[in-house]
Amino acid sequence: MASILEIRHVSKSFPGVKALDDVSISLAAGSVHALLGENGAGKSTLIKIITGVQAPDAGEVLFDGASMRFSKPREAGACGIGVVHQERNLVMRFSVAENIMLDRLGAHSLSRVDHTAIADEAVRWLKMLDLDIDPGTPVSRLSVAQMQLVEIGKALSLRSRVLLLDEPTASLTPNESAALFAIIRKLKADGVAILFVSHKLEEVFGICDTVTVLRDGRNVCDSVPLAGLNRQDVVKMMIGRAEQLARRAPRSKPAASPLLELRGYSSDAGHRDVNLTVRPGEIVGLYGLVGAGRSELAKSVLGLSRQTGGEVLLNGQAVHITSVASALHHHGIGYVSEDRKGEGLILLHSVLDNAGITIWQRLASRFGLLHDATVAREVGPVIAKLEVKTPSLQQTIGNLSGGNQQKVSVAKWIAAGVKLLIIDEPSVGIDIKTKAYLHDLIHELAGRGTAILLITSDMPEMVDVADRILVMDRFRIKGEVENDRVYERVSQAIMTFIHDRKAA
Amino acid sequence: MTTAASDSATTPEPGAAEVPRPSVTLQVLLSNEFGLAALIAVAVVIFATSLPGFTSPFSLFTLSRQIGIDTMIGLAMMAVIVTGGLDLSVGAIGACAAMFFGFGLEQLGLPLPVAIVFALLLGAGLGAINGITVVRSGVHSFIITLASMSIFFGVMIYLTQAKGFNGLPPGVAAFGRMKLVGPVSVLLVTTLAVCAGLLVLYRFTALGRQMLSAGANARAAELSGIEVGRTLIFCHALTGALAALAGLMLTARTGAAVPSMAGHLGQDWLLPAFLAPVLGGTLLTGGRVSVIGTLLGATFVTVITSGLLLMRVSEFWVQAFLGLMLLAAVLIDKARHTLLRRRGMI
Ligand SMILES: Nc1ncnc2c1ncn2[C@@H]1O[C@H](COP(=O)(O)OP(=O)(O)OP(=O)(O)O)[C@@H](O)[C@H]1O
Ligand SMILES: [Mg+2]
Repeated sequence: MASILEIRHVSKSFPGVKALDDVSISLAAGSVHALLGENGAGKSTLIKIITGVQAPDAGEVLFDGASMRFSKPREAGACGIGVVHQERNLVMRFSVAENIMLDRLGAHSLSRVDHTAIADEAVRWLKMLDLDIDPGTPVSRLSVAQMQLVEIGKALSLRSRVLLLDEPTASLTPNESAALFAIIRKLKADGVAILFVSHKLEEVFGICDTVTVLRDGRNVCDSVPLAGLNRQDVVKMMIGRAEQLARRAPRSKPAASPLLELRGYSSDAGHRDVNLTVRPGEIVGLYGLVGAGRSELAKSVLGLSRQTGGEVLLNGQAVHITSVASALHHHGIGYVSEDRKGEGLILLHSVLDNAGITIWQRLASRFGLLHDATVAREVGPVIAKLEVKTPSLQQTIGNLSGGNQQKVSVAKWIAAGVKLLIIDEPSVGIDIKTKAYLHDLIHELAGRGTAILLITSDMPEMVDVADRILVMDRFRIKGEVENDRVYERVSQAIMTFIHDRKAA
Repeated sequence: MTTAASDSATTPEPGAAEVPRPSVTLQVLLSNEFGLAALIAVAVVIFATSLPGFTSPFSLFTLSRQIGIDTMIGLAMMAVIVTGGLDLSVGAIGACAAMFFGFGLEQLGLPLPVAIVFALLLGAGLGAINGITVVRSGVHSFIITLASMSIFFGVMIYLTQAKGFNGLPPGVAAFGRMKLVGPVSVLLVTTLAVCAGLLVLYRFTALGRQMLSAGANARAAELSGIEVGRTLIFCHALTGALAALAGLMLTARTGAAVPSMAGHLGQDWLLPAFLAPVLGGTLLTGGRVSVIGTLLGATFVTVITSGLLLMRVSEFWVQAFLGLMLLAAVLIDKARHTLLRRRGMI
């Protein structure tokens, strides 16, 4: 097969890190190429080098056999290379349609913007992705998953010959991913070369035909056929050893009286008659499709939208929480946001400052004095357990790889020592090895009596971690599934509740 | 060094550091602060060799006094730039506090320390009014403080009938003339002490860290349990208190409290207020400050200004030059911002 894009012996260093070391890869027309590796292996850096976001220290990029070096990301787009970066790059105040058509808003900067034409074109791509939103909606009002789909639509609308997808499915549920895969298969048939990065190996085996694995910035394999390899082979290449199946002690059923109880709760955000209890030491899962209202429920309980009916009880006492600060400092409730870039992290600040932000107030001495060493002592163990890959705790967190940022965004709440922790999509972009560690940590936390409400779109994660699972659809609780860890049965039961919507 | 992160013993992740980190020396050499220090050194050498009066003890004394005052004005603005906002009323607050100080001493006969404390509290209070209005209304601090600048100044003129206080106790003017360590003005020493305090605040206290976090990403700070509104009000109050202190220092220099000490509406302070922090590397979008940078920025501006004045360049051209310098500093800030955005850090 003819290779459209070839990367030869590329190296790239950052202060304290060799991100890529003599890496090669070649993308063929009509092929879906998986790029795999642990968090911080160098996948995103490689993509940024192809598109000219970053310049390589050594090596070259061949496009159609000719050596190329883009100095601006726009040039890559003009040459027929479309990309979905791991980090969102949408203009929050613009509408969905404007974002999708951003690079083509009028031929000149002064020419008139034809809004109907833009909306029509945008709707085509939204439809293909099964995304039912008004193209005039400002992006800032979308959920993280919807933003991700808009980002994908934007790349697709370029109709490029090469499509680079850096963890496009990280925050999508299997349902939404399925629509994307259908499009990918069609593009493949049309002869597009696709690079696909994901930590979800089921997806990789489902749609990819070629694979390149990176470890610590070096090729473990370079563009080999995926046929003939199994999951264990790939995992061994990624982490250097076989995957260890989690062997956890069976969890006993917590009998204590509920820590958090919602009774007939309704909110400004649109929730109606929500009933829910979480006991100390219990892990309650909250599953639902994108837009079901799960994150909104968590935020509403924290006082970020108004309660319009029902009761919130903490330890049996009716409470009215008005801010995250009072939730944390008075009630001992924490919330791990699903949106690490917008709500989870302060990208400008250090790893340590981000990891310690929830405990500053608790650790500060009488005069408000606070030393880095004190903070490091508290958060260090969690950072180490999750293997956050960083040259030092002083590194600016925006310089870490996406998965490593995510680890810190969860770590800061695990270290917070709260009584109730609401965890929203904790493992977005986290590699399989660390994901297992993270699940261990969540179980440990529950073992010490923390009540946990887990929101995740990752069904295997839900089945692995939760004790029982509530299914939410369109801002209501549809039902409850006891988790006996039999994946097929549990996922079947969950999907039945969700698809019940037509009948209802 | 910027203060968003500070250094201490850390445990690098094994296997992560495959390339040696750039040495501390290199980091210092590349920093904004070092660049400014080098520029200052160059300017001083040029002026010292070409202008005979530049290194006279008197010249050095007035220079140090001016650096002390301009740095304090810059620090006042820096304390609110942390939030990504600004305060156009610093000059008005400074003048109000100085006039209140004069009133307290002359009319009420307050003891000096009490008058100082009251003046600083007034400054903090006026700053807090700005902060509360900004937080409650959600309107950008530019508009709010543009309005409060006129209001504060107008009320002060009305209450004082635009008359200054010339009969301050002799101790005030004596303080303005006082030298410590050779020709160094005690006003500069005061400023250095405040710098040290602010360094501790931003680097070693929970409150300072909360200020930086709220300024860098208010939403993330709020969802991490920081009371963003209250923190922003603190920042504005700190700005007011520092502006008041600058007003008192200016009063000590002239030996009298006059309404026009900071120009009409206090506008004369605006240029030095923005120049020092922006030159020093404080990010206009918030979340990152440099106390030392502000000190160096003000020093640079003062050295250049007094050198040019000694060369008999007219005041008008000096002002134009300072304006150009602010423009250059803002462009550098913008470049910094673009770089950070390109790296996905904003
Ligand atoms: N701008 C930067 N400055 C400093 N270090 C960087 C920068 N960008 C990336 N790195 C480092 O380079 C390494 C590779 O990062 P990269 O983002 O390519 O990883 P990745 O394979 O995409 O990981 P993930 O699965 O977490 O997304 C990481 O150790 C990261 O910390
Ligand atoms: Mg990545």
